Amino acid sequence: MVFSTISGFLYGIIPLGDIRFYVTDFSIIGFIVSIIFTIIVYFSKPEKQVVAQFNSFGDKYNYVTPNELKIRRLMSVICGVATAFAMLTCDIFNFALFLAVIGLSNIGIVAAVKKEWVLNAAFHYGIIAMISSLPLFGAAALILAKSGTLSILELAKQNNDLLFQKAIYAIGMVGETGVAPFYAAKAEMFRAPGAPYILMIHLSSLLIIIRTVEILLTIS
Amino acid sequence: MPLDIVSMFYSNSIIVGIIVGVISLYAISREKWDVNMIILSDVVELAMLIIVASVGSDLAEALILPGLVVGMAELLAVSEIYISRKNISDEKIRCKSKSRKVKLLEEFTIKESPNLNVNFTKMQILETSPKFLAVILIIYGAILSGFTGGAVMASGLIYYLLSKRVLGEQITKADFLNIWDGFISFSGIAWALWVLGFLGFFIMPSKWPVFLLVASLGLVLKVGSKLGLIGHIWKP
Repeated sequence: MVFSTISGFLYGIIPLGDIRFYVTDFSIIGFIVSIIFTIIVYFSKPEKQVVAQFNSFGDKYNYVTPNELKIRRLMSVICGVATAFAMLTCDIFNFALFLAVIGLSNIGIVAAVKKEWVLNAAFHYGIIAMISSLPLFGAAALILAKSGTLSILELAKQNNDLLFQKAIYAIGMVGETGVAPFYAAKAEMFRAPGAPYILMIHLSSLLIIIRTVEILLTIS
Repeated sequence: MPLDIVSMFYSNSIIVGIIVGVISLYAISREKWDVNMIILSDVVELAMLIIVASVGSDLAEALILPGLVVGMAELLAVSEIYISRKNISDEKIRCKSKSRKVKLLEEFTIKESPNLNVNFTKMQILETSPKFLAVILIIYGAILSGFTGGAVMASGLIYYLLSKRVLGEQITKADFLNIWDGFISFSGIAWALWVLGFLGFFIMPSKWPVFLLVASLGLVLKVGSKLGLIGHIWKP
């Protein structure tokens, strides 16, 4: 099968009790990329935003208070760590939980800007994330009920007919983290003061989407 | 062959969960007020819990708790966003004259000190309830007539005495201890008589009528004292 090689060579399994990680070419690259960007986000200093003033001379600086900055950096680091371990996890339900944590921290990153239009977008993103936990966790439960296991490696060996469940799972992923860049753009986060942590939203969304595609092609 | 209830209800509960989710989604799409949107999206999460629970194994039990925690965290985050957004729009309306901080669950915090000029010792219920409860406890303890009966009775008496002190009657600590010592010494003497009577059955079996009378004397003293106490409380 063509898709059997998508995740590359399986280097091994890291068993940590109930929590199991597995290392392949694909997942280790995602893990390293996510960790590197987390470190960059932790050490980076956000730029001061310049607003050009029409009809007058001089530009206006938008200063960001340190409190606002701290909570956003914390949220970005949580988002990066959750993304890194979502790359490695061997369990569909743990992957769903990591997705929910990433969604929560994305809401936090967006909502830390105290502007009305930004909070408006964060509110709607939160509603969408809450709604999409039904297809996400529901699909994990349906997969468990049909196949009797949640392990991705076990699901890859068996041959259950999981098309419907996988479709629902993908819908849940899209609602939980996939639409985060859309809401960040809707909030015009690029225009809000102290915006660079938005990098983490895009990175986590990108990595999570390709990882979900890999999982859905692996299990059957 | 045992009836497998879980698999009998599985597809039904899945359908129930999906129907709840779809109806809530329709309600959210029609809803214009943001607070109702938050509550309805929480209903969708409950539908998620129904679907997870319908698996019906130990694993489902372990999966419900993380799902619930994630749902609660998202609910709190969205509520905080709603409140801070409302705060900002309120400030805009008020032209930034007064900056008022709105916090989560503000309705449940005390804003003014409550009116504390209530004379608690004049309350009718404090006059009547100690007697009532003490009499009930003592009658019940007399019926039980054992270690538990004594414990129940004694708790009734202590409750009566303490409530008398709360009402402001002159029962000092010395008086309280005196009454208490009287109870326990009287009870102890009767208990010793009863034990003496029982020991006599084993030591001198031939003299059993005498020891039967001794034991019954102890029993009569104990139960009789219990029933006498009721009269003491009822008419002090």
